[in-house]
Formats: sequence, C-alpha cells, structure tokens
Amino acid sequence: MRRALGILALAWAGFAQAQTPPEATALLRKIYQATDKLSYTGIFVYTQGDKSETSRITRVAGEGGGVERVEVLDGPRREIVRTRDSVRCYLPESHTVKVERNDQRAFPALLPERVAELERNYTISRGAHKRIAGFDCESVTLTPKDDLRYGYRLWADVASGMLLKAETFNKKGSTVDQFTFTQLHIGSVPRERVRTREDARNWRVEDAAVTPANLAQSGWIVAGDLPGFRKVIEVRRKLGESRPAGQVVYSDGLAALSVFIEPKSGRAEAVRPGLSTRGAFHIYTREVANHIVTVVGEAPAASVQRVANTVVFRPPQ
Amino acid sequence: MKEKISAMMDGELERFESAGALKALEDGGEGRESWRTYHLIGDAMRDTRVLSPGFADRVIARLKEEPTVLAPAFSAAGLRARPAARWSALAASLAAVAFVGWVAFLPEQEAARAPQVATVLPAAAPRVQPAADTMVAPPDTADDYLLAHQGYSPRNSFLGVAPYVRVSGDTEARRR
Repeated sequence: MRRALGILALAWAGFAQAQTPPEATALLRKIYQATDKLSYTGIFVYTQGDKSETSRITRVAGEGGGVERVEVLDGPRREIVRTRDSVRCYLPESHTVKVERNDQRAFPALLPERVAELERNYTISRGAHKRIAGFDCESVTLTPKDDLRYGYRLWADVASGMLLKAETFNKKGSTVDQFTFTQLHIGSVPRERVRTREDARNWRVEDAAVTPANLAQSGWIVAGDLPGFRKVIEVRRKLGESRPAGQVVYSDGLAALSVFIEPKSGRAEAVRPGLSTRGAFHIYTREVANHIVTVVGEAPAASVQRVANTVVFRPPQ
Repeated sequence: MKEKISAMMDGELERFESAGALKALEDGGEGRESWRTYHLIGDAMRDTRVLSPGFADRVIARLKEEPTVLAPAFSAAGLRARPAARWSALAASLAAVAFVGWVAFLPEQEAARAPQVATVLPAAAPRVQPAADTMVAPPDTADDYLLAHQGYSPRNSFLGVAPYVRVSGDTEARRR
C-alpha cells in the first residue's frame, strides 16, 4: 500500500504542477510534424456513444501540404478529399459536391510554436504506453483547466509520431468521441489513390464562396466572451446550396466554435431554437432580429450557449 | 435513489433516468456514498483488490507531508520489471483521476453509455438562458454547419481530414 500511495502521490503531484513536462510538448510537436510529413493509408473507426463508423484514409505527402482522401465505408457512400486549399465532400446519393476553400493565412493550424499557447487552457501531461493496431504508441493528455472545453488524449507511434488514436473526454472523464486506427501502413502511396472514384461531372456543386468580412459593419456584434478563446476568422459565405451567412470562428488553440448568422428569410424549413447535439458537437440555435444565430462547437453545451447569447444586433448608424 | 444508482452501475437505466442518478452523484452525500459502497461490493464480489475506506483523505494528508520525496521511486523501467508494481501504478492512476472528479473507473459498458447521458444533462450554464433542458433535434441543415465549421478546427493539424467523417453522417436522416 505504501508503494501505491507513493505512486499516487507522484501522479497527484503531476496534476497539481502547472509546469508541462518538456517530453509532453515534444510529443505534441512530433505528432504535428508527422501529420504534415507522412504518407500513409489505413482504416480507422470513429466512435461516438454507441455508434461507430469505419473509414479508409489515404494521404500523399508533398510540397504544399499533401492530399488526403477519406472514404466512409459504413452507411451511405461519402468521400472527402482535402488538398492544401480546398475540401471537397462527395455525396453520391444526392449527386452533390460540397466545396470549402481554405484560406491558408486564416487557417488556425496548430503550429509547433503554438503548442506552448495551449498550456494556458490545458494541463499537458504524458500518459501510458499502449499498443494500437500493431504500433507501439506513447500518449499525451490535454486536461482542460476549466469546464469550457473538452479534454483530449492522443496516442502516437513511438517511431514515427503518427497519431493512432485520439479521444475527446468531458469533465467527468467520459469519452465524448474517438478516432482509432485499426490498420495502418506508413510509407509512399501512389498519387491516384487520393483521387476521387466518383464521376461528379454532372453533380450539383455547392461552393461556400468564402470571403473575409466585418460583420460589425452591418450591425452584428459577437462578443465571443469565452475565456481562453480568441477570434480567428470572420467571413461571409454560403451555407448549403445558396443561403448567405456570416461566420465567426473562435478557438483556444485546440477547440473551436463557429457562430453563424443568416437571414431567417433564407430558410425554407422551420427553425427549432434550442440546444441539440450531433456527435461531439453542440449546436445552439436562437433568433435575433429576424436572423437565425447558430453556434456550433466541439465544446460543452454551456460554452456554445454562452457564445450564442452574446450575439446582438444594433442597426448601423 | 440507491436503487437507481445500483441499476445505473449495472447499465440497466434508461438515459433519462441516468440523469437523475448522475445528479445525485454529483451532489455528493448519500448518493455518492451508495456509489462507493456498491463499487466496493462489486470489487469484493469480483475479488479485486480495493482501496481501503478513507483512502482519499489519507492520501491528501500524506501528500501534505511529503509531496516530492517519492518521485524518484517512479521509473518506467522499474514498472515494466515488476508486474505487481505495475498494478499499483494502474490502481494509483485510476484513483488519481477519480480524485479530480473523473469517472475513469466506470465499468466499460457504462463508460460507453456515459457520453450520451452527458450530452443530455443540463450543463452548468451560469446565468445563461435558456436551460439546457430545451433539447431539440439538430437542425436539418446541421451538415452544412459542421462542414463549414470543420475547416477551421485546429484539431485538423493532428487528425488531418479524419474529423470530416463526422460531417456528412446523416444524409439519409436529412432527406427524411
């Protein structure tokens, strides 16, 4: 028992100390670099509650960020192809391609030098080794310092830094959702493997047509007001086929929340104000000045609601 | 409430019922005492080594006396060499997370259920209207929001394109 106490004391001291062990931040950087540098193909399972879904992912690394392709293997066919500056979501059932274009300057990538920033909102610690899909993995845990965000556990291949498993947990320590590789091959992949198999020539294209914006100029004030989160981008865009909307994104370096503001007149279907969940996301909808305000975030309900409730409209002078 | 907590531990409670039981646990007092007792009983029945009563308090007292002296005793190599010690480390880390209010020691079946419960529970939203009990179905256009949001999530730096699988998971439901 004395020994157990001693080890517990150490574990506890680890929690109590604000200082991040350098090996923990080093592992985060290693994972980041691996995500950027490696080519691989593998099968991963996404689990949320009692639901799970299997997908195949293929990545070809290259100058300017590489290309990734995901094919969802369960349920309706879906394919997602991401390049450095766009994400295309192929939905064969509705013959639709949804296109998002990333503005790289605004893309809040978790750059290695920004890892230190995370320490303000999370306690970063090393976890136990574990074997996943045949890879020896080391782990790092990001435990939130308050109730406004979720915690994350990451397991990465000791040799390459490739992320094999990522788990989101809530303040009770329960898993909110997780990604786990069940099979993975790291190494060069032929380029045609990241091209879509869908013949989408005659499909409907829904282009988000994102442009930078200043919503305050048209009277919208989004205070954000969530400790540790800062505004990373403010744009005008289209949602779905053609609904114009404003979008403001807040992030704490790891979690992100989006505020969408769209005219009520643009919506054909009824709008249900209130809180809902989709996977690890909370979605909160309310009506402000004949507009629909929707806040979406991979964050606890209270955070999403809090941001939504800061949105006010003051007619411009 | 005791019956409910017991049933919840066995994974026999419906979601809406679990909310009440979890609330009782959160409030402490009799509910939490029952939780501890039932786990103790469960451990005894499964013949698992358990932490003695008052363990938490004694550890805290002990920590105040000697918070750092024990550190050198912890070495990964040493742990690998001795299975018994490894067991202690596991028990200790589980106990440690229990300390900070986690439920990592939940039986697996229950842990899998917990996230759903958590998303339905009224979250502690200080002075914010309306209460989270006004749960509604996700917007019909939820996919549009998630796709629009996903591109700006810094987690992509780690997960690459993988999180996008969460976006278009409900195309069938959407068309209904």
